[in-house]
Formats: sequence, C-alpha cells, structure tokens
Amino acid sequence: MNLDQYEPIVGVPVIGQLRRLGERLKGLKVVHVNSTAEGGGVAEILAWMVPLMNDLGLDTTWRVIEGTNEFFSVTKALHNGLQGHPVVLKKRDWEIYQDVNRENFKTLRDELEEADVVVIHDPQPAPLLELCTRRRGRWIWRCHIDASHPFRAVWKGLRPFVERYDASIFSMCQFAQVLPHPQVLIAPSIDPLSEKNIDLDDRELDAVREQFDLKPDVPVLVQISRFDRFKDPVGVIQAYRMVRKMTPVQLVLAGGGAADDPEGNEVLDAVLEAAEGDPDIHVELLPSGVHRTVNALQRIADIIVQKSTREGFGLTVTEGLWKGKPVIGGDAGGIRLQVVDYHTGFLVVTPEGAANRIRYLLHHREQCRRMGAAGRELVREYYLLTRHLREYLTLVYALVGRTTEHTVMV
Amino acid sequence: MNPFEIMDCSLLIRMSGLPPAYNLRELRDRIAACSPDVLYHHFCETPLSPTFEYPDHRNDFAVWASRRLSDKVLAERLGAVDPYACASMEALREVVLDVIDERLSEVTMIPWARPGHEFYFMEATTLVFDSGERVHALRDLPAAIGCMSNGSIYFHFVEAQRRPPVGVDDFSHWIGGFGEAGAPYVEALRRIDFYFYTLRELREELVRVLEPLRGG
Repeated sequence: MNLDQYEPIVGVPVIGQLRRLGERLKGLKVVHVNSTAEGGGVAEILAWMVPLMNDLGLDTTWRVIEGTNEFFSVTKALHNGLQGHPVVLKKRDWEIYQDVNRENFKTLRDELEEADVVVIHDPQPAPLLELCTRRRGRWIWRCHIDASHPFRAVWKGLRPFVERYDASIFSMCQFAQVLPHPQVLIAPSIDPLSEKNIDLDDRELDAVREQFDLKPDVPVLVQISRFDRFKDPVGVIQAYRMVRKMTPVQLVLAGGGAADDPEGNEVLDAVLEAAEGDPDIHVELLPSGVHRTVNALQRIADIIVQKSTREGFGLTVTEGLWKGKPVIGGDAGGIRLQVVDYHTGFLVVTPEGAANRIRYLLHHREQCRRMGAAGRELVREYYLLTRHLREYLTLVYALVGRTTEHTVMV
Repeated sequence: MNPFEIMDCSLLIRMSGLPPAYNLRELRDRIAACSPDVLYHHFCETPLSPTFEYPDHRNDFAVWASRRLSDKVLAERLGAVDPYACASMEALREVVLDVIDERLSEVTMIPWARPGHEFYFMEATTLVFDSGERVHALRDLPAAIGCMSNGSIYFHFVEAQRRPPVGVDDFSHWIGGFGEAGAPYVEALRRIDFYFYTLRELREELVRVLEPLRGG
C-alpha cells in the first residue's frame, strides 16, 4: 500500500503535499493504540493510516490492547455513557478498566516509552498514559465518539485519565469537551481503494443481489451499520413501512458486530422482531471482513439511509456519498457535516421525515443523480484519507515542535 | 528576477477555548472578546473547510445566522461583510459588531439556536512550508499553478492578501516585477472575485486568466 496509488483519484498536488510534509517528519516513531483489530471505524482507519505513515517515512506501529469480556462490557458502558446514555459504573468497573490496561502496559512499555508520538484511540486504552511514567514523547487522545452530551458521572470518571494528554482530537467541534490542552478537530475519512470502496463490476453486483435475494426491478434502500440502538434500525423499518404503502421498495439493514460491542445481539433481536418476517426487509448480520459485500450493497442501493439519533462521524455516510448515492441521514453528529441538506441528501429526525424524503427521491431520479455527484465531489475534497493523513501530520509537527502560533514557517 | 518560490500550507483547526454561543447576544459578546485568530478563521480560512460547500454565504457567522438562527436578514448582512476590505482584524471586528448590534436593535426577541446547533468558536494553526519548487519564467506560471495544491493556492492568493504588501496576492507581486509585460495580467488577477470561489475553482480561474502567458 503506497500513496502513489491514490494519485489518479486525488491528483498530483495532494500527494506531493503529503510527501513534503512526510520529509519533515522522517524517522519519527509513532505508535497508535486501540482496542480492536477489526470491526468498527477505528480499526478501518488504522488499517490504512499506519502503512501510509510508514510510506511517508515515519516509523509507525499499531498495537491493540487485549481485554476480558468484563473489560469490554465496562468499556462499552463507557462508550454509551460518553454518548449520553445513563449508565452506572461502579468502583469495581473502574478497577477492571485500569487492571486490564495495567496488564497491557507490561507488554507495551518499551514501545510507548520510546515513542516520539503516541496516539490513543477512544477511552479503552486511555489509562496507558498515567502508567507510562517514563514517557518521552507527546501523547494524543483521539476520541472518535460523539461526546457532545456525555453522561456526567461517566465523563467525571474518565476525565482524569485524559486530561493529562498533550492534545486531544475530536471529529467535530460539538464533540469536544473542556480539557486543559489543545483540542484539535480532525474529521475521519475513507480509503477509496479499500475493498469497501473500490469500483466493482456489474457481475459482482448481480452476484450480491442474488445472494441477498433482492429483486432487480424494485428500488433498494440500504442502511449499513452495527446493530446499535443509536443507529435507529427500528426507525428505518418504520420509515420503510410508510413508503411501502405508496410504492414498492426493498430494505437492507446489514452490519457486522464488533469485538468490543456486547450489546449488538439484543438490538439485532429487536430489529428482527420489528421486521416481522417481511420478505422485502433483509436483516443481515455480516461476518467481519465482507467489505466487498458491503461495497456492493451500497452500490446496489438507490438511496443510502443512515438514520442515526447519535453518531460519531458516520463513515457509512461517507462511503455512500463516495458511491454517488444520495443519503438520507439522521440530523446528528458528523452526518450533518456530510449530508448537506438539499445538496448531497436530506437530514431527517423522524421515521416520517425519512419516509417523505425516500418517496420524494424515488420519484425524482435526476435529483438523485445530481445529489450523488455532489456527494462524491464533497468526499473527494474533504473526506478521503489523504486529507485525514495531512491533518495528522500537521498535528504531529505542531506537537513535536510545541507550537500553537497562528502561522508557522517550517 | 528571482524565481517564484512555491510554498504550501496545511491548516490544523482547534477549539478556541471560548464557550459556544446559543443566541445572537452571546455571539456578539464572544466576537467582541475573541482573539483575532478566531475572527480570521471564521471569515478567511473557510475555503479550506467543508462548510465552504454551503453555497449561500462565505463566512461561518452568516451561515450560522441563516441555518441555525433562521435570521435571513442578519445572514445576508453578515454575508456581505468583506474581510479583505478591512484594514485589520480589529477593523473587521468593528464592522461585524456593528451589523449584529443593528440587528439586535431591530428584533423584539433575541434569536436562539436549537440545542445542538450552537456556534463553536475555533482557530487554526497554519503550517507553511517550502515545496522546493520554483517557477523561473512567466510562461511557466500557468502550468505551475495548475499543479498546485489547494494549500498553495490558498497561501499565495488568499492568505497573501493579508501579508505586506496588503491586498496584493503573491502571483501579482511576482508578475509585477516583469514590468510592462506583466501589467495586463496583474490587472486581470486583481479583478478576480475570489471570495466566492472554492479553491479548486480559483485554481481553474487563475490558470484561465494567465493562460496567454504560455505563448510568451
């Protein structure tokens, strides 16, 4: 995997700019730490970011902390708490949280102590900073979660673990919390050459259509997401039923589980119950790694839906826009950045709103095409990995150089 | 004549530390107190951010007034404020406060944003670095601009307007050094209404305007 492969997509100037930034950071040791090697947006981002940082000359590694089921139940509760869900974390839970990090630190110690820059992704590995007393580098806490209205008790418990970082990164300004260090805003991105986003031929699309038993002559709505209550899959089924009364349509609700999300099965059961065995509602729990299938489903879709009530950034929206599809998104989190109302899709807050917009788009195909084209260009400009990488490199440079001035000549 | 040194830049956006504004009164008070870098970011650095894709207005305050306060009058007035016509950020601050104060005197109720739609005040660090590339002859400038990154276009044409000589972009400054041969192009560049272009559109426009130089 190297950057030159992206040149035909983003253009020569973009790649040249990254190479020049990379030259100034050559040899710098960067360690990324998160809690899952696959499933979820964070692992997907690291899967391309690490090799590309290496291609640019930085010495970059990715480490995944290991945990028990108990630990992941605690961190899932932490995750939900940061998203505003009232959860109770007892003293014992915080101890489990720290104990597992302590165990992981034993194996990570040397690497973390030697690193010039350590990027800790999300709350799971956050206690590593205070354990690494001999750290010499700069430490960044990267919060991928919509923490705009955290449940106070959870934030109060987590804050001591993150406030001593040198900087934190949030995906949007609304997610940032008051912390005693610079809070940088970096939106995530997608990899246009990954299995999930690369162009597919018609034969492959037909095979997936057949695999999912989708009728070729009936419009398809697709929501790709984990089975998570904040993605509101039941609300999407309600919207589908309202549309279905007026016009034929099929719905695909598909997504994988993630290793650190024990709640997925409960939500999946609720969705199956709501689907009531309707043959035109296709609920699919996808195994991890079926990226080409997800890609094909998004390309088969007439309209992409992402009706989240809370959302981190919403990479499935980015993926849908990149495939030239209009997106009907929940008016939440990073969906607001990507779904420019009336330009790249529609923002909605209720199943009724989603149903109205779906019906409108199904009857205005030229509008669908225009929105899809606008969405693809929006992603090309702002939400591909090249922009994401540039901002990380800029942050690394600013942190290592310890500068916060407005203009820095390097 | 010295060659044209192509610079590049990358923006790192961060929270300013100011509390968000939930209504027009709070917006006014924060603008009165914020650092010049905050004003600069929300008025001049917008071409480097996705919010620039909203086609109606070119500064974040006008976009917020329109989309979140639903105050079209204020949005249009704020949208008409040209930061490049102000001699300094302090002068710009005065103009903006005047617009907001006028609106506050007209409305009977202070416009509020719904929860989740507050205005967040941000600022940025701009990392400027030498690309190592040089343009030696006027005829090579259009092709060089065509290959420039958005960062280079922003730095040499937009950001340059605020550096001495104020109000002059880097391309015009360099072309001006060629005397009579460059004069028509300096004039053509001056006429570009860059405030309403995305950086991609601006690059295309610059290449179009300077295209005849290739034959020279």
